[in-house]
Parts: sequence; structure tokens; C-alpha cells
Amino acid sequence: MRQLYEFLEQDNRSAGFARVAISTLAVLLVWQLVSMLVTNRLLLVPPAEVAAALVKEVESGAMWTNAVATVTAVVTSFIVSVAIGVAVGLALASSRVLSLTGGPVLSALNSVPIIALAPLFIAWLGLGFASKFVLVIMVAVFPVVVTTEAGLRATDKQLVEAARSFNATPLQIFSTVTFPYALPFIVSGIRVAWARALVGIVVAEFFGSFAGFGFAILSASQTFDTARVLGYVIMLGAMGLIGSVLFATLERRLAPWRQE
Amino acid sequence: MSDAIRLKVEKIDKVFKRRDKPSVEALRSIDMSVAEGEFVSIVGASGSGKSTLLRIIDGLIAPSGGRVLVDGRAVDKPGPDRAMVFQQDSLLPWKTVVDNVAYGLTLAGTRRADAERTAQRFIDIAGLQGFEHHYPHQLSGGMRQRVNVARALAVNPKILLLDEPFAALDAQTREIMQTELLSIWQETRKTVLLITHQIDEAVFLSDRVIVFSARPGTIREEIPVTLPRPRTLELKRSPAFVELVDHIWKLIEAEVRAGIKQS
Repeated sequence: MRQLYEFLEQDNRSAGFARVAISTLAVLLVWQLVSMLVTNRLLLVPPAEVAAALVKEVESGAMWTNAVATVTAVVTSFIVSVAIGVAVGLALASSRVLSLTGGPVLSALNSVPIIALAPLFIAWLGLGFASKFVLVIMVAVFPVVVTTEAGLRATDKQLVEAARSFNATPLQIFSTVTFPYALPFIVSGIRVAWARALVGIVVAEFFGSFAGFGFAILSASQTFDTARVLGYVIMLGAMGLIGSVLFATLERRLAPWRQE
Repeated sequence: MSDAIRLKVEKIDKVFKRRDKPSVEALRSIDMSVAEGEFVSIVGASGSGKSTLLRIIDGLIAPSGGRVLVDGRAVDKPGPDRAMVFQQDSLLPWKTVVDNVAYGLTLAGTRRADAERTAQRFIDIAGLQGFEHHYPHQLSGGMRQRVNVARALAVNPKILLLDEPFAALDAQTREIMQTELLSIWQETRKTVLLITHQIDEAVFLSDRVIVFSARPGTIREEIPVTLPRPRTLELKRSPAFVELVDHIWKLIEAEVRAGIKQS
């Protein structure tokens, strides 16, 4: 027991996998136990039935259609929101006036639940890709803007002074000091943006689309097919987890000096 | 040592203007010069403006009055003829030792292969062999300061400016680093201007010690150090050495005490 405990505390890949496996098993176990108590299958179905529903979706090809719709829409709009977010963050960090003028507008926009505007976007842009695209950008762009500006402003004054002492041009100071320093900040913003993008895509698909995980969840719940609903939720959860792990790893790679 | 004047500081004044607060006079009418190949140190209490003077010489900040001449030519911005060794943490944490040492060269547009070859030479001189591909956070404070010195030397400056380079190190490491700096200086024959709080460090290393008074910084006394070279740490126990340190301490003691009470 003690050995297992010490193994799990280790900071290596196999211990990491073991930790994930244990927590997944724990969740499945609790889920199984609860679904034995709650016997109304409209409310909750046990894990095995969800797995079976997922297999059926894959066999019928519906999974593929929905995955293509959701993944292409979310990835495209996510990449565009990162690009816009970094560009706006750069602009805000480079100009004090712009930051003071535009900052309040941005934080106002950021605190409005943009998701609530989803029906409006769909009225403007119709059902399909365009409305998903715009809605995801609107929710995902802000964390990137905020962290980009913060990261660029946080830059180490001593490093800038050293670069200036070596006669660096403003562009060189940016590319060799300010930007690399801000990069881990930006990636942490991107990580948050990915989670938000997933929420955005599901809501957009709820309100208006013909394919995608959100669409599938909505149509399954309208036919009280709880197993299918949970199956697609798990798919979305997996997408969120993959993104989160990927960006967390990237953050560590970019800033190894912060760990020790 | 030749007598040619490498660095000349003429009537430098510096007043920091601050919003909503009275302005601070950091330096008043500083006149000094450093000969080619000479090792000069500036000591003084906190607030004597010595660090400000070093930044003015490097061209990082502009003086309120007066000028700085390198080989007779006025300078007003950083240039390849001067290189600064900072107190600490001025290494790029995402670059390896070799890339950090080559940093000044790559900024100046040197080809990567050439920059790395030059960097390697100064890595060897600074005793960093085997650590080329380490990152700064993997090194001790002493090793990081060697990288800092190597980085400044790599651009082949005429004048090396050191801003309390060993202040953040523990006492024993500091002593070792002092002797290493001396041997690097003897090997490269650079003109060196060092700022320090440590009087014994200044005396041990220098041909001349310039003592600053505080608020505003002015030159109180220039003291030639004629102790024989090459110098070893044993010198620090010799009566002549102790006497010099004692003399300088008496010059600044009152201000150091006043500084403690103020802050």
C-alpha cells in the first residue's frame, strides 16, 4: 500500500497514467453505484449502456458525421480566435492609450454572457458554419487577448535592460525578450480559450445546426435517449481533456524555469 | 598598462524628475577617467548614484548634463565598445548557456556558427565547460554570473562595466569569483569599471578605487592601489590591504550609517 502511494506521488509518465486510470475508474465506479440506485433509465444509465450507445453511433456512421462537423468548426474558429486574440493583445500592450480606451469595452464584452446571444447570431448568420464560427470566436477570443496583454506587460525589466545594453533594436527586444517571456502566459490563455470554444460550439449547435455533437445531444435528449446524450457528452469531455493536457504540456515546455 | 585614456567622464550630472514628488539629484559634476587596460572600482554608500553613473556610461540612461567619451569620441547610447555585466537574473531563462553567451553577437548579426565558436571560447575562459547546454535555472548563482561575464566579454568590448556582479553570491563564492575575474582580466586586458558595495572587493581587484559620497553622488576621493600583482586571496590579510580598506570605510561610514536609519 505504502509502495503504491509512493509510486503515485512520482513525477513521471507511468505514474501519471496510473493516476489518470485510478481517477477514471473511481468515477466509473461511483457512476455505476449511483445508476444502481437510480433505476429510472430516463434519468441515468450505467456506463456499459453508454458505451454500447457510443459503439452503435460509430457503426451507423453518425459519430463520424457529427465529429467532422464539430471538430472542423471548433478547430477553425479556435485557431482564428487565437490569431485575433494575440493580435489584439499585442495592440493593447503596445499602446497605453489603446489599452486604456479599449480595455473597459473589452472587459464589458468579456463579462456579458455572450452565449446568451447565440439565438441572435443564428438569426443574423443562419444555420450552419458561419454562426458557429462567430459564436466560438466571440467566447474564445477574450482569454487570449487578456493573457497576451498581461504577458507582454509582465516582461522582466532586467532582461530588457540587458538587451538594450547589447544595442538591441526595439524589434529585437520584442522577438528575443518580450515575446518569449509572454509565450507561456499566452498558452495558458489559449488553454482557457479551448475550453470556452467547446462550450461555444455546443451552444451554437444546440440553437441551429444539422450536424455536430451539440446537435446530436439535443436530438437524443428530445427522444429521451439518455445513453446517447451521455455518450456525446463524454466525447466533448475527451476533446476538452486532450486540449487541456496538450496546452499544459506546451506551457511547461516553453517555461521550464518556472517549475523549479 | 599604457597611459592612453580609454574612458572619460566629463561633468556628468543626473537629476531624476519625478511626478508629484521632489526631483532627486543622483549625480553632481562627476569627472573621472579610466586608462586603457586599467581596473577601476567605484565604492559608495547606497544612494551614491554609482549604479546610475554606470548606466549613463553604458548609454542606457541619458545624463542631465556632461558627456561620456570612449577613446575621445562622445557616446550617448549603448555600443559594441562597452559591455555590461548585470547584478543577477539578466540571463534569458529560455536560452542555454551557449546561446546566452552568444546573445550579444547574434543581436549584432553575427552568423550563428561564428557566434557559437566565439561563445565557446569565452565559455572556456569563464570555466563553464560542460555546461554549454544547461539552462540558467539549472546553474548555481556563481555559475550564472560566469555566464554573465562571458556574455559581456564575447562581444569583445573595449570597456567592461560591472554592476555589483557578485553582490547576490555568498561570501565564499564571491571570493572565488573575484580571483577568477582577476585572471580573466589579466588574460583579456580589458579596461574595467566595477561598481561594488564591498570595499575589500574593490581594493583587491583594482588599480584605483574611486570613493563616492551620497545624495547627490560626488567623488570624495580617488585612491590608487599599488599592491603588487598578481594578487591572491592571501593579500586580503596583509596589513597594507587592511589599512586601505579601513581608510575607505572611514570615508563612507557616516553615510552608510545614515542610510540605515533612513530606510
